[in-house]
Amino acid sequence: MRHVLFGRVIACMIITGIVNCSAACGTAGPGAGSADTVHVWALTDPQNEPLIQAGIDDFNETSRVKLELTTYVNDAYKQKLQVSMGSPNAPDVFFNWGGGNLSQFVQADQVVDLTDALRQEPSVASSFIPSILSAGKINGKQYALPMNGMQPVILFYNRKVFSNAGLQPPKTFDDLLRLVSAFKARDVIPIALAGSQGWTELMYLEYLLDRIGGPDKFASITAGSVGAWRDAAVLKALRMTQDLAERGAFGATFSSVNYDNTGASKLLATGKAAMHLMGSWEYSSQLGNNPDFVNGGELGWVPFPAVPTGTGDPTNAVGNPSNYFSISSGSKHIDVATDFLLNTMSSVSHVTRLVDSGQVPAVKGIETQLAGTSNGEFTTFTYRLVSDAPSFTQSWDQALSPSLSSELLTNLQKLFLAQITPEEFVTTLEKAK
Amino acid sequence: MTGALRNTTKRSAQPGFIWAAPATLLFATFGLVPILVVGYLSLTSWNGLGTPEWVGLDNWRALPNDPDVGGSIGTTLLLTALCWMLQTPLSLLLGVWAAGPQRSRAILSTIFFVPLLLSTAAITLTWLSLLDPNYGLAAALGPFVGVPDGNFLGSPDRALYAVAFVIAWQFVPFHTLLYQTAVRGIPRSLYESAKLDGARTISQFFTITLPMLRHTFIASSVLMIVGSLTYFESILLLTGGGPGTSTRVLPLHMYIKGFVGFDMGYASVLAVLLVVVGTVLSVVIVRSTGYHRMTSQREGMR
Amino acid sequence: MTHDRLEYAGTGLYRVPPVDVRDPENRRLSRYRQALVNIGIALWLIVVTVPLYFIVITSLRTSDAYVEEGAMRPPSQISFDNHARMLELGFGRFIVNSTIVTGATVLLVLGTALPAAYSIIRGRSRVTRMVFPVFLLGLAIPAQAVIVPIYLVITRVHLYDSLLAIILPTAAFSLPMSIVVLTSNLRDISTDLYEAMIVDGGTAVQTFLHVVLPSARPGFVTIGVFSGLNAWNGFIFPLVLTQSDDQRVVPLGLWNYQNQFGTDVPGLFAAVLISAVPVLALYLFGRRFLLKGLSAGYGN
Repeated sequence: MRHVLFGRVIACMIITGIVNCSAACGTAGPGAGSADTVHVWALTDPQNEPLIQAGIDDFNETSRVKLELTTYVNDAYKQKLQVSMGSPNAPDVFFNWGGGNLSQFVQADQVVDLTDALRQEPSVASSFIPSILSAGKINGKQYALPMNGMQPVILFYNRKVFSNAGLQPPKTFDDLLRLVSAFKARDVIPIALAGSQGWTELMYLEYLLDRIGGPDKFASITAGSVGAWRDAAVLKALRMTQDLAERGAFGATFSSVNYDNTGASKLLATGKAAMHLMGSWEYSSQLGNNPDFVNGGELGWVPFPAVPTGTGDPTNAVGNPSNYFSISSGSKHIDVATDFLLNTMSSVSHVTRLVDSGQVPAVKGIETQLAGTSNGEFTTFTYRLVSDAPSFTQSWDQALSPSLSSELLTNLQKLFLAQITPEEFVTTLEKAK
Repeated sequence: MTGALRNTTKRSAQPGFIWAAPATLLFATFGLVPILVVGYLSLTSWNGLGTPEWVGLDNWRALPNDPDVGGSIGTTLLLTALCWMLQTPLSLLLGVWAAGPQRSRAILSTIFFVPLLLSTAAITLTWLSLLDPNYGLAAALGPFVGVPDGNFLGSPDRALYAVAFVIAWQFVPFHTLLYQTAVRGIPRSLYESAKLDGARTISQFFTITLPMLRHTFIASSVLMIVGSLTYFESILLLTGGGPGTSTRVLPLHMYIKGFVGFDMGYASVLAVLLVVVGTVLSVVIVRSTGYHRMTSQREGMR
Repeated sequence: MTHDRLEYAGTGLYRVPPVDVRDPENRRLSRYRQALVNIGIALWLIVVTVPLYFIVITSLRTSDAYVEEGAMRPPSQISFDNHARMLELGFGRFIVNSTIVTGATVLLVLGTALPAAYSIIRGRSRVTRMVFPVFLLGLAIPAQAVIVPIYLVITRVHLYDSLLAIILPTAAFSLPMSIVVLTSNLRDISTDLYEAMIVDGGTAVQTFLHVVLPSARPGFVTIGVFSGLNAWNGFIFPLVLTQSDDQRVVPLGLWNYQNQFGTDVPGLFAAVLISAVPVLALYLFGRRFLLKGLSAGYGN
């Protein structure tokens, strides 16, 4: 057994040596920017990378100008994109999150308006779920097309922990508060929270504001309306969020817990925590790391609980509508790139690849296709959650400008640690640009 | 020019500017010119896209209104002090100990050196897992240091100490090495004459070893102070400056403003501030250590 | 005690072997303290080795076992799959890149800083006199403060996404400290030595080779380690100035891996371990030379 393993290690060393050499000793890499290539930039992601590559390969078969994919990890990607847009190193087609992230590129005149192209091929636009397509719209013009699955935020829970305690998952916020006390009494962390990263805390505020005041409250924040932060609904959502933390809903050490090293997901899978509010990607992450937990049917999920006193529709969803592809206006091959986006992103083959990879594409009428897959139960739930939702609010840190969202996340951490009051939170964010 | 050609024999014995030219060119290109550019950028509004737009002193006027800038300067100073206070005694004692000729010491000092060989990224990722309150060592060891729940990196009061500890874990080996080699260089004759005077080992340490290590002490302290002002990667990877802004030092604050918030204009203001603080610090260091003397002034044994 | 004194490299400087702690008299005096020292050393040994142990055992675990087994227990099943996977992901290449970057940075720093220090100490040029304060002021300027202009400079000279794009700025920012250390080293060489070279009709080059180079050895090693560490640990320059896999260095590779497969902790530590092995080998190989180089003439 040992020998086999060692043999594999050595074989891999040799193989990587050869592959690396052929790559490194050859001509200059992608950054050199050969004029006859369309450079596509996306995130390094084991789920999406192969299917984007497959779409590119299909397209390259018939295209005179070839597409080439380069990928980066999340944080590096944002910085890289920002510094390279407008420089000779800019990509032709680039991955983005829609919303505020895309909007700053649009304002700098660096993105191609796709509205006219879409008008000529009406079937493309009509195949997407409208609320998802609209996150690629800036000032009424379409600058981006959805390129992968929808990722709404869902309340996950550990079925075993719940059944051991004889409890039911929450339907309303009051249910949730009762569950918090019940699990605390049983020495279980009621809700796992990766509080060392502000974006995990943001999900509470996003849902609570939507449940209390409806999606318009955040819309006026994105629009930069005067007094939008100081709205009574925002303050109430902030107070409820802080109250949840102060009740010990997240345990005593949530601010040390990290999402990236599976800290929070592990708490749920091992039953140390009962619930976990997270994007739908949590499902595939749990499946990868704790297959027994998922396959044994212990992972449960429900929509975020309703707030009966609020005016928001309890079927509304928040999260990442999808990721998007846009074309940079400096590209030498705008026509080829447009062709690629319009013909690939809603194509049957691309949608099928997305479904097969366990994602939920933002395309209408795929319910039966989803139900037939191995994770059909979860993906149809996600699909219905989004397609039945009257409104889908984009994650705030993606909808707002980067500088405002960095301010938002920092102050949210302070709010959870009770270092600032909701009023101070509002005052700081009103001043931030 | 003609002056240089005349008197060639004498001139050629002395190194001209050409000797310093490569270093100067390198530092000017990547140090000085960028500083000037940053000065210019601090007067513009720029998110990294398109052309910077001139806004005069707007960014500078925003400086007093930034609630985090004062705190981050305080955090920087506190962290610098913590790093120095933690690392200096540790590396001094370890260095003196490791200087002994015993084989066991050589073996142990080899082990002690290993943290320096891992990269900052590797070290912070390791400690991030070890300090996880639920699955790391933190929960098991926390009670012994008065933190029963093992909440180190997540506690606003303790995070900075945890960061200082991780930094010390990485850099103590380097400073130990400096002290170790310096101790080995102390003339034995000094100890022998002290012994003749009946001095005990403990007093030898204070009367001979410590004074003889003065130069090393200064060099090591300068490296630590400059180090804690200039690097921020450990903090970025350990806490991202959090929880809240508890560990956000000035360089990190600049990084967040510039590369997370993409407010390059304001980040340049912070960069200029950093350059100013760094320059002032350099002047203080240079003045107090005598590093600025250019000619040799050997004063014999000090 | 002249027999104890060794002349060092013809500089007229002497160094003496260290005090022998095995001396019976020393031993008698310090038995009690020795116990205290041993406890302290044992504690530090634990502090140093526990994380190292953690890295090794975690890298040997299978991914799902990491969740079930505790962090510190030895793995129930030893697996080298993680290490193999990391090599497949190109960590071999990253290590080669990091090694090139580190080696080239050290050479560049040593190659430019020592002549500069020599010219600062011995030169009479007015330009040189102006240059030195500039380097001194650069001592505490953090590199990330100027990262944006550096990016602009690097793209202008068409070095973007090359190892040279990391090497040049890293070396540049190691220069101030290096020149300060080396000048203070050279300052300690007695003037007579230089004068003797001049009287003999030696040129600047000869003086450099026969006087400066040998005397600067301890400073050389200190700076080699210092700039080498800067290059090996460097994160911000590679992050902003390179993009392709071929040019990736170890710290960025690790960080990328955590971002990308953050949930695979054993894989991450396999990568940490793999990236440490070459340096560890180099260190074990060169330790003697390192210590010798550092202690020669130090603190004289």
